[in-house]
Amino acid sequence: MLEKFKRELASLHRENTISLCREAIEQKIDPLKIINEGLTPAMSDIGEKFRTGEAFLPELIQSAQIFEEAMNILAPAIKKTGKKTEIKGAIIIGTVKGDIHNLGKDIVAMLFKISGYEVRDLGVDVANSKFLEEAEKHQADIIALSSLLTSTMPIQKDLIKILKEKGIRDRYRVIIGGGPVTKEWAENIGADGYAENAMEALTLVNNLMEEKPC
Amino acid sequence: MLGFWEMMDRALTGEFMSEAEFDMQRFVPALDEVKKKYKIKCDFNTPVPCEDALADTLFEAGVELYSRVGTYCTDTERIILFTKDEIQTALINAPNNVYIGEGKQRKVLSSRKPDDETVPWCYLGAVGGPVSDERLFLSIMQGYALIPLVDSITTPTIVKYKGTEVRAYSPYELAVSIRSSKLAREACQRAHKPGLAFMNSIASSVSDTAKIAGSVFDLRPSDGWLIGGASDFKINYQRLNEIAFVLEYGGHISGETSPCLGGFCGGAEGVAIANVAYHLQALMVLCGSYQVTLPFHYQNGSNSMQPLLWVLSASSQAISRNSHFPFFTIPKVLAGPLEPMTFYETAATVSALVASGSHIEALSTHKNSTVDLQTPEGPAFASEVAHAVVGIPRKEINRIVLTLLDEYKDRIENPPRGKSYPEAYDIDAAVPFPATEKIYNEMKKKIKNKFGFKFKY
Repeated sequence: MLEKFKRELASLHRENTISLCREAIEQKIDPLKIINEGLTPAMSDIGEKFRTGEAFLPELIQSAQIFEEAMNILAPAIKKTGKKTEIKGAIIIGTVKGDIHNLGKDIVAMLFKISGYEVRDLGVDVANSKFLEEAEKHQADIIALSSLLTSTMPIQKDLIKILKEKGIRDRYRVIIGGGPVTKEWAENIGADGYAENAMEALTLVNNLMEEKPC
Repeated sequence: MLGFWEMMDRALTGEFMSEAEFDMQRFVPALDEVKKKYKIKCDFNTPVPCEDALADTLFEAGVELYSRVGTYCTDTERIILFTKDEIQTALINAPNNVYIGEGKQRKVLSSRKPDDETVPWCYLGAVGGPVSDERLFLSIMQGYALIPLVDSITTPTIVKYKGTEVRAYSPYELAVSIRSSKLAREACQRAHKPGLAFMNSIASSVSDTAKIAGSVFDLRPSDGWLIGGASDFKINYQRLNEIAFVLEYGGHISGETSPCLGGFCGGAEGVAIANVAYHLQALMVLCGSYQVTLPFHYQNGSNSMQPLLWVLSASSQAISRNSHFPFFTIPKVLAGPLEPMTFYETAATVSALVASGSHIEALSTHKNSTVDLQTPEGPAFASEVAHAVVGIPRKEINRIVLTLLDEYKDRIENPPRGKSYPEAYDIDAAVPFPATEKIYNEMKKKIKNKFGFKFKY
C-alpha cells in the first residue's frame, strides 16, 4: 500500500491519494509510516523531477496541495499515536516591501514545502515588521527574503539591521535571493546565505539546518 | 479595435477570482489543454526549426490560449478577456512602421518575417543593468550611443543617488529617474547623436510616480516607455496608470513580457505558446507600439541554451509569420562582458532570433545583476552579428547555432564573470582600453573565420 501512496501522489492523482489515506486509516495502518514511507518519498520524487526539468511550478503546487490535504486526513490518527511528524524546520518567506515579483519566490517556497519544511509564504510587497511578527509567531528557523529589483535590495539589508537593533539577530538565519541579488551583496549585508536558484536555495537551507542551531 | 478605456472597463467588470485561482484553475489547465490540442512539441536537437506549419500552429495555439485566459488585474481581481474575433481585429489594426527617434537618428521600425532580407532593429545598451552612479551612467551611455549600428538605446539603472542606495517608491527613486532622463540625453549629445531614442524610458523607475516624473524631463514622444505586467498574464493599477499617461502624452509603449520556463508556463512548449499569447497582451492590454519579450529559464535567468533557443526561434517565427506588430526579443547570456563564452552565446541567440523574424534588444549578460558589470562591446557585437546573418536561411542558421552551442555548453553551470566597465574603459574619456579592443577584435576574427559571418566592418 505504501508503494501505491508513492505512485499516486508522485503522479499527482489527488482523488486516489485521498482515498488511499481514508482506506489506510480504516485499516489502522501507522499514519507516520504512511508519511515517512509513502508520501515523503513521493514528494522527493517530484523534487527530483523539478531538478531534472521534468516538473515545474504547477506540479510543485499541486503536489503540495495534495500532501496538505492528505496530512489533514491523517492528523487525527497521528494525534492518537502521541507521536509528532518530523518537520525539518520552519521558514518564513516573502518578497520584500515595494516589490511585487512572485514567480521565483513561489518556486522556492514550494520546493521548501515539498522537501519537508514548514513554510509560511507571506506573498509579495511584505513589510519588514510583518517578517518579524510572523517569524516570532511561528518560531521560525529561517527568514528568506526575495527581491527582483536593485531598488528593493536595500530592504533586505534593513531587515538584518533591524534584527541587530532589536538584539535578536542570532535568533534567525536570514537568506536572500532574487534576480539582481549576488553572493557579494549577501556577504556585504551580513546575510547567512544566498542562492542563485531554487535548487541551490534548498541545499542552502538543508545545510543551515544541519549546522549548530542559532 | 478596442481602446484603453474599453480594456479598463473589463478590468472593472470582468470575471472575479483570486490570484491563486487564476494561476492554478484558469491559466495552468488552459495552457495544458491548448498544448495537447495543438500537439506542440519541442525538438531539443533543432534550436532553429524551419517548418512554417509549426510556426502557424503555434500562433493559433497562442491566440486560443489568450482568448481563454486573458490578463488578470491584481487590483480589481478580475480578468480582462478578449474574444478570438477581437484579437484578430486587433492584429489587423496593430501598429507597424513606427517612427522612433528624432532628426538624423529618426528611423522606422517595421515588422520582419523569418528568413527576412531586411536588417533587424538594433536596440542596444544595458537592458536596465545596474550602474553605480551618475558619472558611470553618463560614460557608458556615450559608449552605447557610439556603437555604429545602434538604432536606439536601452539604458542602465542607477543604484545610488548622493551616495545612498536608491529605494523603490522613495524620493531617491524619483530623483534618479529624473537624472536618468537628463543624463541619457546629455550622453547622446556628447556622442553627436542627439536624436537617438531611449526605448526603455527610465530603467531606474519602479513606481508609476517616478516613471511619470522622469518622463517630463527630456523624454520625447518618439522615445519608448517600457511597461510590463507581472508573470504570468497579470497587470496592476500602477502599470495601467503609466499606460494612461503615455497614451495621453502620445509616446510609444514598449510592451514588456517575460515568460519563464519552470514557472506557471511549465516547459519549453508552454513557454513558446505563452510567448505568442504575451504578444497579444502587449498589443491589447499594454497598448504597445511594439512588444519587447524575454523568455528565460528559472534556473539561471538566461536563454542562450536549449530548450530556450528553440522557444526563442519557434515563437518568433510564429509571431513574425502571423502578425505585423513589431517585436523585440532580449538575448540573455550567461557569461559576463568580454569573455569568449559571451561572444559565442551572443552569436547563437542573435542568429536564431534574426533568422526567425525578431528584432533584438541587446545585451543582457551574467544575470544583468552585478553593478557596473557591462560594457558596450556586448551590444556592439550583437548588432554586428544581427546584420551579418541577415538572409542566411533558417536551416543553415540551425547548423551554425548547433556548432556555436558546442563552444559553450560545458560552461553553462559555471559561467565566467567577465570584466566590469571600470576594468575595461577609461571612464572620463568614455573610451575602451587597448586590451578591451584587442579582445573584441580577436573574438570577432575568430568567429568570422570559423562560421563565415560577413561582418559589415
